[in-house]
Amino acid sequence: MPTISNPKRCDIAITGKCNLNCRYCYYADEMASKIDLPTADWLSCFDQLAKLGVMEVGITGGEPFLRTDLFQVIDGIIENRMRYNICTNGTLINESVLASFDTGKRRLRLNNIQLSVDGSRAEIHNLSRPDSFERVIPAVRLLKARQFPVEVRVTINRHNLNDLENIARLILDDLGLPSFSTGEAFAMGMGCTNQHEVTLTSAEQFSAMKKLDLLLEKYPGRIIAQAGPLAKRRAFTEMEDARLSGVKTSRWCMGSLSGCGCVFSRIDVLHNGDIVPCHILHGFVMGNIKADSLGDIWQNHPYLIALRNRRNNPMQEVFGCENCVWASFCNGSCPAMAKEISRDFNSPSLFDCYRHFLEESSDEVQQYIKSRMTTPGKSERQINAL
Amino acid sequence: MCTETTYLRNPDVVLRDEDEDGALLFNPDTNQVLVLNPTAACVWKNCNGKLSVAAMINLIKEEFDKVPNATVEEEILKFITDMAKGGYICLPEK
Repeated sequence: MPTISNPKRCDIAITGKCNLNCRYCYYADEMASKIDLPTADWLSCFDQLAKLGVMEVGITGGEPFLRTDLFQVIDGIIENRMRYNICTNGTLINESVLASFDTGKRRLRLNNIQLSVDGSRAEIHNLSRPDSFERVIPAVRLLKARQFPVEVRVTINRHNLNDLENIARLILDDLGLPSFSTGEAFAMGMGCTNQHEVTLTSAEQFSAMKKLDLLLEKYPGRIIAQAGPLAKRRAFTEMEDARLSGVKTSRWCMGSLSGCGCVFSRIDVLHNGDIVPCHILHGFVMGNIKADSLGDIWQNHPYLIALRNRRNNPMQEVFGCENCVWASFCNGSCPAMAKEISRDFNSPSLFDCYRHFLEESSDEVQQYIKSRMTTPGKSERQINAL
Repeated sequence: MCTETTYLRNPDVVLRDEDEDGALLFNPDTNQVLVLNPTAACVWKNCNGKLSVAAMINLIKEEFDKVPNATVEEEILKFITDMAKGGYICLPEK
């Protein structure tokens, strides 16, 4: 019996080639320096994934639709009893491409196709995703018209911060999608090169939080956030709530360096076959799909074991967090961002640090975060007794 | 359900061993998951088109000391019905 359940999901960057040049692409540095795996190697990879019982393959890139063998690859996933999703920039989607999904179980096994929309009009969207708005929006319309499971992601950045209301109107009212997800540009790859152009300051984060909260009043439950300003605001509010009430949320593991559970359920492969814990940790190469056993790496590789053991570190013992009043209610967030910022994944990610966020903000910010609590906290006197 | 019926595992369904106490059945065509305890996993593994439901009940009684004799038959019949409804197993082609 393996010591840990085998991965449920594997994301593969099927190509390092892309026809766009997005201003915040975290994978940009990797794309040019590595060569794409040929079809046969991907098919062998899927044999390995099937033996592990992997349930879903995420196809990303680069731009997946640039691969002429994409549907051969998809058929390999299907033959190996898995489902799949595609993350695409959408610029190459047309009637002919969608017709190719009608063969076999390609449509049946497709979980979703995700496209990015970063502005309500070309002048804004194209600032971060150049020369693509005029192709992406028709692609979303076409996918919806053909009843594909299309999803839209909005990466919040300095260019679109003041366009969020219009973006929500475009996606939810005009395009008629049930929801969209949000994230934010971060300083990695092109996002690092263009940091001052795309990444949000704390004040801009706060502005985005308020805008998204307001939009959620208009569109209840239709704006999703696993990362970015809305996710941060929710996490910060939960931290305030727990600190004031003394009751920690059961939704995530407060008080230990436990941010991100990906390493317990997912493993990723880069476009040259390099096996990594996740695409954001693309520097942590643990082997290559052509030479190494994915199962052995999943069970035994020191990087993965170390990342899983990260949660054994109490936040109050983490360097820099010893005297933080939030330590007992924090989880240190994403190890990949921590690694990027401090060179050590056994540290907290300053990118998501509440204390850091408050230090850069006015008093109004903390009051706002508290005001979003659903349960009233205890008094400050009771906090001191905790 | 006739207890002389035999069932066959859907070849597209995946069994994932999760830990000592259980497993998951994943049907990639429906995206549905069924959580199995060790007894249920044994039933699934023996849906081979040869062993009848009655024989399977006897097998489970023999292999698992702790299954309650009074209800085991009823529980296995229900589980097999649920698996058939979910497309995890099917009747063998004649």
